[in-house]
Amino acid sequence: TAARWFLPVPWSYSTQRPSHCSGARQGPAAGGEASDLGGLLLESSDDEAPEEVTFEDSKTQALRSMKDALDTVRREKEQLKEKRRRRQELFQEQKVCVLAPSTDQSDHKTNSFRVNWTPSCFSLKGNYTVATVKERSSATFQQQVAQDFIQSRLYGPGSCRTTNNELLSLQNKKGRNQSAAVQFVKKDWGEFSPKSVRPC
Amino acid sequence: MGEFTVHRVRFFDYMPSAIRAMAFNPRTERLAVARADGAVEIFNFADNYFQEKVIPGRDGGTVEALCWVGPRLFGAGLNGAITEYDLENLRPRYSVEAYGGPIWTVSGDSAGTMLAVGCEDGTVKMFEILDETIRFQRNLERQKGRIISLSWHPSGALIAAGMIDMIRIFDAETGRATHRLLVERGAGASKSREVVVWSVVFLSDHTIVSGDSAGKVQFWDGHTGTLVRTHLVTKWDVLALAVSQDESSVVAGTSESIVVQFQFISSTVGRQDNEWVRTRTFKNHSHDVRALVHTETAVVSGGMDTQLVVRPLLDKVEKNTQESSLRKIAFPHRSLVCCAKKAGLLLFQFPEHLELWRLGESEGHGRAGDSLPVKRKPEKLIHLKRKGDDHIRCSAVSPCGGWLVYATVSGVRLYRIQHDNNNIGVTKVSKLPKSLCSAHQLCFSSDSSKLFAASGLSSVVVVALDPLECKHLHTLRPKSGSRQPVHLLCVSDDGKWLASANTDCEVHVYNLKKMKLHCKVPVYSSCPTAIGINPVTSNLVTVHADQQVFEFSLQQKEYTEWSRRLQQRGLHPVWLQRDTPVAHITFNPRNPAHIVLHDVFMLCIIDQSLPLPEARTPLLNQMMLRSLPEAERSRQSHAFKICKSFQHLLSMTLLDDQSLVAVERPLLDIVSQLPAPVRQKKFAT
Repeated sequence: TAARWFLPVPWSYSTQRPSHCSGARQGPAAGGEASDLGGLLLESSDDEAPEEVTFEDSKTQALRSMKDALDTVRREKEQLKEKRRRRQELFQEQKVCVLAPSTDQSDHKTNSFRVNWTPSCFSLKGNYTVATVKERSSATFQQQVAQDFIQSRLYGPGSCRTTNNELLSLQNKKGRNQSAAVQFVKKDWGEFSPKSVRPC
Repeated sequence: MGEFTVHRVRFFDYMPSAIRAMAFNPRTERLAVARADGAVEIFNFADNYFQEKVIPGRDGGTVEALCWVGPRLFGAGLNGAITEYDLENLRPRYSVEAYGGPIWTVSGDSAGTMLAVGCEDGTVKMFEILDETIRFQRNLERQKGRIISLSWHPSGALIAAGMIDMIRIFDAETGRATHRLLVERGAGASKSREVVVWSVVFLSDHTIVSGDSAGKVQFWDGHTGTLVRTHLVTKWDVLALAVSQDESSVVAGTSESIVVQFQFISSTVGRQDNEWVRTRTFKNHSHDVRALVHTETAVVSGGMDTQLVVRPLLDKVEKNTQESSLRKIAFPHRSLVCCAKKAGLLLFQFPEHLELWRLGESEGHGRAGDSLPVKRKPEKLIHLKRKGDDHIRCSAVSPCGGWLVYATVSGVRLYRIQHDNNNIGVTKVSKLPKSLCSAHQLCFSSDSSKLFAASGLSSVVVVALDPLECKHLHTLRPKSGSRQPVHLLCVSDDGKWLASANTDCEVHVYNLKKMKLHCKVPVYSSCPTAIGINPVTSNLVTVHADQQVFEFSLQQKEYTEWSRRLQQRGLHPVWLQRDTPVAHITFNPRNPAHIVLHDVFMLCIIDQSLPLPEARTPLLNQMMLRSLPEAERSRQSHAFKICKSFQHLLSMTLLDDQSLVAVERPLLDIVSQLPAPVRQKKFAT
């Protein structure tokens, strides 16, 4: 039912009494806390009807509180992300500085490289040399993504592929000199494995 | 005539690479083929489809598209760079980063001034083609989604770009995208899958033809951006499109391995209401067709089954002639196997490594056709991985088996091999002369004292071999000043002569005792595919791409008597109709009248002492001769003795002990290791 989409709404009444009625008009209870209600109740007489809230008002209030709740959740997520990112950056910085002392000890007699380190890194003390680590650049990552795209379009799910064994066996069976299915010399030939279906 | 023990070698695991892209240059009649491993091959369509040049690839270097601009060849790949190839030195001339991520397609305009590339990041980048380089000019309006295919309108004013789910038309002047053509997705289950427009072609009447992953070939009106006609060609992807020069025929290649032709004709004879009608279907492949080219007379297709197929169109060529036959090029036109004759070793060249094997031994004797028992099995002695990222271009092993050399585009590496008892030691020779920077062909002298390396400008570098330091002895240069690379090198057994052949069809002979040019063989119009020097008579035998055979006397510097007789008689028609070139020539040390040659499908021993065959008698007469009595046999024999028992031959050599080494690579072995083909439901299976 629609009711479950609404967060528990503090029940509040506000009544617009017709002008001909006597008595001071009480404003709507704020937030609907028991104490306020209690206060209202104390002030108003016993036989007055509780304040009525229009449907529109309570709907907007419900929506507003829902939106607030979502906003809070989103803000928290972003804060968490930010925190995580900052931590990752810190680790990267530390990794760059820590990597320097742990390079190949056998190289320390040969020529050392000159590197411009940012001020935030530790200075190198003792017999240390620096070697560049061959890391995967973003270019090769993009290339991998592109290759995966072709691979999945041509050989991925939904591509309806079969094996070379079946292709050759069909050719044997439908050929002019009909013969038996093809048995490969090596058992693993033409196997339908992710490694073997790479188009390159 | 002779009995030979044959070593049938089937342990060369040669695997060709899939064809990824092709481009045809109609003016020079050259077809450039890009393989999945990054290698680029040039085929000369005017010279019996001879594979003239091979530029080796490198690790991680893919070529997704090729494009000719005049005589220049450009390629682009997923590494994000546009490369211009140096066809004289057989290497990439330079690479220009496009900075758009992986490049999917490259296309030049008809004026030859601009190059457009389609990138992963959704931009079409325009490069200006200058004399020595290309220069980035500007980006067209950036799109959301990768640009998979491109086609220029012949006027150079518009570009059609195939993307995912749509085709965009750009104004090349302003760079704005003017039209968006929405491509329908597949029906049923494929509705949720995006449709990729793998190929587009922009015709001069503003019709756009597109092939997409839903299996449709669609014809659009480029003016209004509306769909004119859809043809559902296959259940799988349409991967490639090609249009003929006169725009009357379009061919589409599919994953289903068929090629479909559409022609712009009227459905009723006499009427002028031309429309695009599906006409022929070609089934010449077993796996996906990824590249297509439409020449004036033929449809050229290539794909995952690694074979290059040339299908002449029967309405453009005369029927039942050599010209109209289907050509399938499945094996390389150069030898990847080198034999150390004295040591009984075989060197196999792979793109990324070399293998050195020792041949096995058999015992006993048998009759023709018998299989002899194997006493000792062949064994792999060395598996040498190449250094660096570049693929191996050429390699050689010395006849004594003591030296091994290979060359890539970046350098040459020489190794000394030591055999002591059962151990094999390989040591790299570190000091090589500077002149040995790269080689197109490599060859050792028969006494293993010198190494010959074919270098730039058709020159040959001579290096003295030494385990510690090799010294440069001499550089042999031809007088012609040709810039074309040398593709064949051979040295005579007595160490006196060296012959080199280049792709300009020139054959030069050098005198190694005097270290200078001896003579140049008269240029024949077809490129030589194999050369050899007879050890006894010192005659140079050359076989050409059009299957002509010549014998040239090095002493007299003129064609021999036998060669003149052969030319006068003419070669047998069956010989001339063979569609694979002769890849290697060798000689019989015990009989100087024998010339042993082979192509992919046959082994032939030409006996110069026997009469030449007549055109009307059958050429393949060995089976018939065997059934005749002795006396009849000698009357009917002719010079060309052909044996077709061994297929598919990658190499054939004659060892010193009179045994033949036949390196076979059955096509079945290759097909079984290809990527998966599509599953086709056939009736009654």
